[in-house]
Amino acid sequence: MIVVYSTDQEKFKKLSGFAQTLSDEVIGVAPFRDNHVKKLIVAKTEDLAVETISEQRPSLVLLSEGKREVTVGARVAARLNAPFSSSCNSLKVEGGKVVVERLGFGGVVKATVELSTPAVVVIQPPDSESREFETEIHEYEGKGKMEILNTKRQTSTVNLQSAKVIVSVGRGIGGKENVKYAEELAQVLNAALAGSRPVTAELKWLPEDRQVGLSGTKVRPKVYIAVGISGQPQHLAGMKDSGLVIAVNKDKNAPIVENADYTVIADAIEFCKAITEALKK
Amino acid sequence: MTLNILVAFKIVPDETLIKISGDKVDLNVPVKISTYDKNAIEEGLELREKYGGKVIGISVGVNDRKTIREALAMGLDEVISITPKTYADALATAKLISEEAKGYDLLIFGESSTDGGDSAVGPMVGEILGYPVITYVRRVEIQDGFLVAERNLTPEVEEVKAKLPCVISVTGEANTPRIPTLKQIMESGKKKVVAKEVEIASSSRLVNLTPYFVPRKKVIIEGKLEEQVQKVVEILRGNL
Ligand SMILES: Cc1cc2nc3c(=O)[nH]c(=O)nc-3n(C[C@H](O)[C@H](O)[C@H](O)COP(=O)(O)OP(=O)(O)OC[C@H]3O[C@@H](n4cnc5c(N)ncnc54)[C@H](O)[C@@H]3O)c2cc1C
Repeated sequence: MIVVYSTDQEKFKKLSGFAQTLSDEVIGVAPFRDNHVKKLIVAKTEDLAVETISEQRPSLVLLSEGKREVTVGARVAARLNAPFSSSCNSLKVEGGKVVVERLGFGGVVKATVELSTPAVVVIQPPDSESREFETEIHEYEGKGKMEILNTKRQTSTVNLQSAKVIVSVGRGIGGKENVKYAEELAQVLNAALAGSRPVTAELKWLPEDRQVGLSGTKVRPKVYIAVGISGQPQHLAGMKDSGLVIAVNKDKNAPIVENADYTVIADAIEFCKAITEALKK
Repeated sequence: MTLNILVAFKIVPDETLIKISGDKVDLNVPVKISTYDKNAIEEGLELREKYGGKVIGISVGVNDRKTIREALAMGLDEVISITPKTYADALATAKLISEEAKGYDLLIFGESSTDGGDSAVGPMVGEILGYPVITYVRRVEIQDGFLVAERNLTPEVEEVKAKLPCVISVTGEANTPRIPTLKQIMESGKKKVVAKEVEIASSSRLVNLTPYFVPRKKVIIEGKLEEQVQKVVEILRGNL
């Protein structure tokens, strides 16, 4: 029996569809109501999700990509004394073992890992059809070990996965006030504006849902323009599959050069201003 | 109250130095403290400065002396270094740490390591010990035996409270890890390192590693700004 868990309704639907290609017996656990599984247990918090997933004694637990999911998955694995793998992008069951593919070493390598069952896997599932059911819904009540004082949800500002062109800024843009030059370039190109982890999570020059990389969004636009981004492994892991990569950097020796089709050796701001003007013509 | 803190840190091959040639991956490169585990160490040290107590480090895996000394030089009071005789996966590592983790008020981990990157060992240890698990913490405070923390769960930010003892994992943005001075590095040699060799079985196995490499043209465009712009405009027009 497989348990699927996600805190995102879209991902839950995809994951349930994928799980049903592996087994007829799929139980969903989520903080919301949904009808893409025969049986659903609504568990509002991480602590409750850990309890109820573990109680099902599943042979496989599938969770969608996300920080809560990774946390819940690792905890469930410890409860079930089961192996765990996160950031997987494929999964097969072979001879009673679960074989997954994932990135390793900051995104420098692809690793194939074999897990004994029961196993717990965080995965971005392949596209599979999801059916609707007359779902039997249970509410899982209880008290967790931590008290949630408040939760603030940031509104989503962009959909990077569907963008055809992305202009992405790194620390090399120099300051929050300069991000507008990259934004103007993005506008003339009809591109989405994204950033590296320092620019988003640390410095807050851009909202955090615009972070590209291993711990952010993995993107594959037709054209990716990296402005003032050094090209560390964890950033590359999120954009390597892009069509054409153009970099702008003042340093000829930055690792991005090895990972770009074209690198313009120039000042990020001067280049953005000049090319925006040229493209307007 | 004073705090007894255990900080876990992993010693990993420096991922920025890993060499790829053809379909071969060369992991035989200099090692380092996994990037965000330095944030875990720093958080432990800052909490000790604020509330008093002790900060002990624990590292499972590679037992590189120089790297352990760097962790001690940052300010850890002592390090427990555990070397499994065979490969230890996240769960095996969590079991080994749990055995050493009793009696502490707070266990601190980094959000993710730069090798396996499962983000799992911390939450697993918490579960094995039956402690509250609070991951992706970017701000933390202790109030009368309780921990109050802000978690960054993009796109959500959550404030939580739990009774000590707890397990937390900190994000790379929680603090700025200190760089030890030469004097601290010299003195770290006197600090205690408890080294153990152990046997543990893992229920997962690495089957294969291949480079994640996409070949690129790698053309460098130098020269006058107007000419550079002209070239890029042409490239863009050809690709959009
Ligand atoms: C577990 C883990 C997960 C991570 N996840 C991610 C992730 O998802 N995404 C991510 O991006 N990072 C991630 N990181 C961080 C990553 O390792 C790098 O630190 C980060 O990508 C560097 O960001 P940057 O290129 O903006 O900054 P820097 O590395 O500081 O690079 C700035 C670049 O700008 C150039 N520059 C400076 N001034 C100018 C100028 N005037 N004009 C032009 N160029 C200039 C410099 O030459 C340099 O190349 C992660 C790290 C870890 C450990």
